[in-house]
Order: sequence, then structure tokens, then C-alpha cells
Amino acid sequence: MSTTETHTLPDAVIEITQLKKSFGNNHVLQGIDFKLGHGENVVVLGRSGCGKSVFIKCISGLVKSDSGTIKIFNQNIFGINNRQLDKIREKIGFLFQSNALYDSMTIRKNLEFPLVRHLKLKSKEEINSRVEEALSNVGLLNTIDMMPSELSGGMRKRIGLARALIMKPEIMLYDEPTTGLDPITAKEISNLMLDMQKKYNTSSIIISHDMNCAKITANRLLVLIDGNFYAEGTYEELKQSNDEKIKAFFE
Amino acid sequence: MSLKTSIQDFFIETAEVTKFALRFFKEVFFPPYEFKEVVRQCYEVGYKSALLVGVTAFIMGLVVAMQSRPTLVEFGAGAWLPAMAGVSIIREIGPVVTALMCAGKVGSNIGAELGSMKVTEQIDAMEVSGTNPFKFVVVTRIIATTLMIPILVVFADTLSLFGAFVAANIKGHISLHLFFDQVFEKLDFMDVIPSIAKSFFFGFVIGLISSYQGYNSSKGTEGVGRSANAAVVISSLFVFIIDLMAVQITNLFTK
Repeated sequence: MSTTETHTLPDAVIEITQLKKSFGNNHVLQGIDFKLGHGENVVVLGRSGCGKSVFIKCISGLVKSDSGTIKIFNQNIFGINNRQLDKIREKIGFLFQSNALYDSMTIRKNLEFPLVRHLKLKSKEEINSRVEEALSNVGLLNTIDMMPSELSGGMRKRIGLARALIMKPEIMLYDEPTTGLDPITAKEISNLMLDMQKKYNTSSIIISHDMNCAKITANRLLVLIDGNFYAEGTYEELKQSNDEKIKAFFE
Repeated sequence: MSLKTSIQDFFIETAEVTKFALRFFKEVFFPPYEFKEVVRQCYEVGYKSALLVGVTAFIMGLVVAMQSRPTLVEFGAGAWLPAMAGVSIIREIGPVVTALMCAGKVGSNIGAELGSMKVTEQIDAMEVSGTNPFKFVVVTRIIATTLMIPILVVFADTLSLFGAFVAANIKGHISLHLFFDQVFEKLDFMDVIPSIAKSFFFGFVIGLISSYQGYNSSKGTEGVGRSANAAVVISSLFVFIIDLMAVQITNLFTK
């Protein structure tokens, strides 16, 4: 039901048609069509190595796709120069699977990094207040002068989330946000993602194979099998599916 | 693996390193410049290697002087010890020992650090944060090694000469003033300049090879280890190759 609605959404923030990507003979993405509506949370399910990460890395321009079009805010990201790509990336937050916190910098420097380099903010007060706001959002203000190596896995994930959200992005890309965390922390992160969606009205693509996370965060789910979206629907719809391939995710 | 594929791999690798080096030259001259990061890397490379390089150089100077002393005395040329030690230290021992120690310490450090940055997606994170990771991570490190290793070589030369002075005083007696007087009497600009010039190349190649290995590290922790290892082995080998080329070129200009 919701699927047909989103496909006709006039204010789609991301529109992808016939996206293809291969690594040698490994055809990872085989002509994907996709739309992300404004304020929507879409969870992409799939087995490890099926190309989920490649899919969102194509969207952020980290991986160059072979063919197809990716339109972000109605601008095709193919053939644009680096400066234009950076402009688009200002509106996209990316939470990496391994958090990608800079080991050599304190938490404060980690969070300042996108502000100073992307937005070119100069005012010390503004930078500080935004860093503190982002850290309080994830409840880790006390870690501000610590190094990433001093934090636990769940804390690092939350700092990664704070760093992605500090830019107040309109689109968030989550790469396996709950992988490697205990169920309680994973639930906290999922709820945090939902809070951020409400607070900043972001649209998100969440790559995951954690069904609990999908249940909490998803407005719509997509199942990626063999380089294409195999099924689409809400959590409840997919759960009731009789298809073996889909049932496997819920068991 | 057949001989054909290994030869092919060798040429592909060579082409990749060349492309990497050309990219460095393309990016180093155009803004934005990462001055702050260059200074930080200079501190990491230069200051943090100074103690290690200093101790090694001192020991090498001492050992070289002690080893050559008996032979020199046998030929009645004991008084030549300072001059001989000076020439061999400035021309060869100082630059090569410094470069090898730095290939070991700095090279493995850069290889492992960049490798783990690559594997844990920190390089991707920089790219989506409006930063050119090649400029921020690779260019700054190559600049730092290119600038710092010549300075470390001068430092190593000095300590090495002091080492030789200590050695000369273990079995005989010579004043500091006379020792350095004799060292500088035999030293020429054509000893010093080529030695400093080749140090820049040593620094450049250590930075280049180590960054290349780290930046192209394949997935997983095993890849990081391999990058660090390859960074040390290949850059040490290149230090000797450059040294060989440097001596040939210097000989063109001297008799």
C-alpha cells in the first residue's frame, strides 16, 4: 500500500534509474530503480556481500557506477565536478559500518571536521555549540575530549551518528548501523535514528540485516537479492510473505 | 604463479606507483593547501624519529672509527682517522643509516596508519566531508618525509661525527678542536651537497612508497599488516637503488 504511494511522491529526494555496477565479472547491481520520498525511512535488506553497501556508496559518489542515473534533489550526480558533488554531499550524512572515526583526533576534532571543512565555519562559538548540541543529542557530551580508542563499540557508533548529523543533513545513509552491537545497544541506536528522523525531518536509507532495527525504523522495506530489488513492502507485509527467500530474513 | 603473470604484475604495479606519484605532483601545487596537517606530520616524522636516528648514527660513527683504526694505524696513517671517518659519514653512513631507520620507523607507521584508515573507511569519511583525502592524507605525509629526512641526516651526521670523536679518544687522544679541524680539512662541498640532495630523494621515496602501500591496502587487518611490511621492504630497497644512482651521478661531476 505504502509502496505505491511513495512511488508517486512528487517530492522524491533521491531518484535512481537503471543503476548498474560490476567489479570484474561480479555484477553487483543489475539495473536498480529506486525512489526515496521526503521524510521517509527505507530499510534495504540483503545478505552480506550482495551489494547493499555498494548501493549507498554509489549514492554518495564514493563508488562510481557503470551506468544509470542517480538524481539527488533533482540533480544528476553523473558528470558533475567535485565542487558540485561536495555541495550535494553537504546535505547527505553517512554513518559508516566501521564508524570511520578519525583515530588520531579527539571526539571534538572528529565532530568539528565536517563543520570546518564542509561548511567552512570560522566562528569558534558556533562550532562549539554545534559540537555540544550533537553530542548531547546522542547523550555523550562527557566524551568530548576523549580519543575514539577510549570508547566502547556502542559509544563509537553514537559518536559516528553525531558526526553524521552535525551537518543537519536532509538525507541520511546508514550502513549497517546496528551490526556488532548487543541487542540493547542496537535498540538504543535504532530509537536514536528514529528520534533524529523526527527532530530534523531527514529522509534515510538504512542498510541492514537486523530485523529488530528494521522493525523499529522502517517506513518501507526493500529486499536486495542478486543485484535487484526482489520485494518491497512494510515490515508487516513482508513478514506475512510466503516467499522462501523473504521468509529467510524473518527466521 | 607463472613467470609471465609475475612480470605482468610487476609492470602493472610500477605503472600504478607512477600514476600515484604523478597525482602527488598534480595535487601538491594546487590549493587548498593543508599547512596545519603538514606541520603536524613534520612533527610526527621529524621530531619523533630524532632520538632513534640520533642514537643509531652515534653508534655507527663510533663503530666505523673503532673498526678502521687498527688498519689505519698498521699503515702508519692513524692521524687520518678523523678525515676518513668524516668523509665516510657525510657521504654515505649518515644519509643511508638515517634513511633506513626512517624507512623502518616512519615507513611502517605510514603504511599501517593509512592501511587501517582505508580499511575502517576513514578515507571515505573524509571524502564525504568535503575533504580531498589524497591531499589531506597522502600529500602531507610525502611533503613531511621529503623535508624532514634531510634535516634528520644533518642531525645524524653531527652525532655520528661525535661518535667517531669518542672512538678516536678511546685508544688515543685527540682534542675536539683538532678532530673537527681535520674532518673539515678533507671535506668538500662536493661531499656535502650530493649527500643532502640524495636525502631529499630518500625522503620522497619513503613517503611515496609507504603512502602508496597504505592507501591501496586491501580489505581486512591482514591487508594492513601486509601494507606496513611492503612499505618497509620496498622503500628500504629503493634507498639503496637511489644511493647507487646518486654515486654514479656524483662521479660524473667529480674526478
